[in-house]
Amino acid sequence: MPEILITLLTIGVVVAAIPGVCNYLILLERKLSAWMQDRIGPNRVGPMGLFQPLADGIKLLLKEEVVPPHVDKVLYLLAPALSVFTAMMAFAVVPFGPVDDSVPGFLRFIIAPNINIGLIFIFAITSLGVYGIVLGGWASNNKYSALGAMRASAQVVSYEIPLGMSVLGLALMSGTLNLEELMHQQTQGGIMSWNIWFQPLAAIMFFTASLAEANRLPFDLAECEQELIGGWHTEYSALKWALFFLGEYTHMITISFLTSILFLGGWNLPFIAEATSNYPGVWLVKLLVLFGKAFSFICLMIMLRWTIPRFRFDQLMELAWKVMIPLSLANLVMVMFCMQFGFNRWWLFVGSLGLFAAWGVISANLREAELAARPGYVKPKKKAAAVAHGHGHAAGHH
Amino acid sequence: MDLPNLPPLFVYGAILVGFVITNLLLAHLLGPRKHTPVKDMPYESGMDPVGDARQPFDVRFYLVAILFLVFDVELLFLYPWAVSAYSEFGIPPELRDTVFAVMLVFMTTLALAWVYAWRKGVFRWR
Repeated sequence: MPEILITLLTIGVVVAAIPGVCNYLILLERKLSAWMQDRIGPNRVGPMGLFQPLADGIKLLLKEEVVPPHVDKVLYLLAPALSVFTAMMAFAVVPFGPVDDSVPGFLRFIIAPNINIGLIFIFAITSLGVYGIVLGGWASNNKYSALGAMRASAQVVSYEIPLGMSVLGLALMSGTLNLEELMHQQTQGGIMSWNIWFQPLAAIMFFTASLAEANRLPFDLAECEQELIGGWHTEYSALKWALFFLGEYTHMITISFLTSILFLGGWNLPFIAEATSNYPGVWLVKLLVLFGKAFSFICLMIMLRWTIPRFRFDQLMELAWKVMIPLSLANLVMVMFCMQFGFNRWWLFVGSLGLFAAWGVISANLREAELAARPGYVKPKKKAAAVAHGHGHAAGHH
Repeated sequence: MDLPNLPPLFVYGAILVGFVITNLLLAHLLGPRKHTPVKDMPYESGMDPVGDARQPFDVRFYLVAILFLVFDVELLFLYPWAVSAYSEFGIPPELRDTVFAVMLVFMTTLALAWVYAWRKGVFRWR
């Protein structure tokens, strides 16, 4: 089949599948949330609520389109378009299946193969997504939207740095930013060459920063329902609101695939999908393995939502600037030393854990010092002593 | 080394633009439109909005934006180095020691800038 037809087929499948998958992810999120909270969740439309996404889609399509007179019309319409465009565009360089000889000729599990700047492309495109948020918040001319947009821009911008810095160690080790190549290197060596063994700290930071980039709880300061109604999309309704959500869920899908590909070996799974396994239909198994890994990350994100309470804004900024940025820089320097002097890669595993523990101790001490510098601070006493005196230290600690 | 395979990206981008525009058009064409005075108000929890939402905001957001610019540009310098530093066709082995030393200096300045920003209280949010 000619190259252009394969490309068009892949694009067609992806563009058709992503909205559908996102719809069902919303159902999954509602069902999982319900189970975690001992409820039943949507169960009216179809068996077990399986047709709920269709009903929601039709409802959103036919709802009234409200464009209030107080908004800036062009930017108001541009914002959802921009946020869904950037989110879906980033998916172009993500290999969502095996990319090797075992795949039948007419299938290709990546839209734009062989892009050697793959990772930079993703970061560049997704960071454009912040424009969707800022424009939406500014154009809405609503105080909640403006607050949400400001918070969101500060948050996305701050977490951009640890996100980019955490994969630099990976680039240093692998010598490439091409996602296919990164996946290939891990699949050839089996489970012991997965990057998570050598960069566990970077994996955690990458996932956390991605959550913040996607505005998922516990980082959803920008749209926290209890304080800001909906944040920057307060004034949006019907299909334009749905576009924002399509963007957010597409972002989730991209993150899950990226984390699986960068750190968890892509389609590699011991005994089932190895580089040497060569049974008929192996490409399908590889595809399913990668999908399974991505799916478990999505479930993890949804479950995190109901496990960790939302951060306060100052905590959020402190996590980015005082914890993740120095840690990712230290991690990068560690990889640099390791590569320069040719140490065994397993030292990186030990080093990552050491860095994590060390920064925990340091930042606890810094926190203590910062609290002590505040006026009216009373040094917390030992438990027994505090009970005995019972006064004079209400301010300060906790 | 061959050029990256860019045409699929542009095709995909064009199709996405079409997808987005179709969605916006559909939202415009389908669905009723009835304006009422209350519906047209900014939704602020049922209160009548006071003043304009486009007001001056806290300068700390501006500081964070500037700091982001500084760090992100430095990050951009780091990418080409990280890819080529120890790869087969990257920096030749006899230059690696020099590059290593230069990069150490670079990282040190980065860390110093970060410490300076902290001492200046840019990260303090209360």
